[in-house]
Amino acid sequence: MITLTAPAHGDGEFTAPTPNELFDLAPIIPGVEWFTKPVLLAVLSAIIVIGLTWAAFSKPKLVPRGMQNVVEYGYMFVRDQVARPFLGKDADRFMGLLLTLFFLVLVWNLMGVVPIAQFPVASHIAFPAVLAISIYVLKIYLGIKHQGAGGYFKNMMFPPGLPKPIYLLLSPIEFLSNMIIAPFTHAVRLFANMFAGHMLLAFFSMVGFWFLFEKLTPLGAGVGVVGVVMTIIFTGFEIFIQFLQAFLFAMLASMYIGGSLHAEH
Amino acid sequence: MWSIPSYLLAGMAIYGGIGWLLDRWLDTSAFFPIGTVLGLVLAGYLAYRKFSR
Amino acid sequence: MSVLAEVSGNVTAIGYGLAAIGPGIGVGIIFGQGVQAIARQPEAYGLIRQNMLLGFVLTEALALIGLVAPFLFANL
Repeated sequence: MITLTAPAHGDGEFTAPTPNELFDLAPIIPGVEWFTKPVLLAVLSAIIVIGLTWAAFSKPKLVPRGMQNVVEYGYMFVRDQVARPFLGKDADRFMGLLLTLFFLVLVWNLMGVVPIAQFPVASHIAFPAVLAISIYVLKIYLGIKHQGAGGYFKNMMFPPGLPKPIYLLLSPIEFLSNMIIAPFTHAVRLFANMFAGHMLLAFFSMVGFWFLFEKLTPLGAGVGVVGVVMTIIFTGFEIFIQFLQAFLFAMLASMYIGGSLHAEH
Repeated sequence: MWSIPSYLLAGMAIYGGIGWLLDRWLDTSAFFPIGTVLGLVLAGYLAYRKFSR
Repeated sequence: MSVLAEVSGNVTAIGYGLAAIGPGIGVGIIFGQGVQAIARQPEAYGLIRQNMLLGFVLTEALALIGLVAPFLFANL
């Protein structure tokens, strides 16, 4: 416990945790430089998701029992809230992808509040960026396959119903917004939420630990208790935000795919 | 609905960028704010026409 | 006159933080009243949605100008 809080010893004064010491983690096996804690947690969450869905759906029965029953709730949630509103009758084709996205991002995020492994994997920008870039490539590929190479960009940049001369002014805006800003915000939304949440949790738990265990003064004990209470409240709020961000990531992925299957109206 | 701020940002970026390039070419310093505001107005118009018809 | 208090670091970040208060409250009011109006009269959903979007676009523009203002006013 002492080694976990050693960085907070700013020569006797309380210093808030800096991003460097929170996110720059050392390799676990000294010598293998790339195998740090985030990598271990990412591999672990992949194993968890695969194991969960295998245990549930490897021998599916018509009347679900046990594990299949529980995971089917998740499947129905993704199908009715994420896939069907945007994909309509093509929903079943993309259920595998959307289910994987939702459960993987959910387990990634929940790693941030599980006691030993407290690190939300999505708070290193590489992880959400990879997912967002792959959805981006899929979106362009599907758009060109279903609407033709010229037709996809024509339908995107020139939505029907606007007076003709304005098209020239407005098409660069449409193009930039759809092609460049969309994948960027897709990844950064998840990353920023997880990063900020982790920093807040670390700050409040540092306040609690410092004022109650490191330097116990009568006046500081009150601040320490406030720190602990805020940590508990914020953990609850953080769990809600993590679930919401996972749902939002999957829903935006579904929306982008749906937008390239049928032309935007 | 979800992409209205991205339309506004894209409009500001494009027309602000055009204004900035014009500034560098003509050695003025006023086209950049004008372009940005113009891009904002155009993007707002686009968002309104697209999402509420 | 000596300096009593000093803020160091990036002032533009503070500027954007202050500039995001107004539009945040504004957008909250717009969508809150919009939801109330839909609850009162669900048939008017289309009309309400149109006006909600218009108000949201205009208010959000101010927040985005606040984001870009440090670059706009850097050389003025």
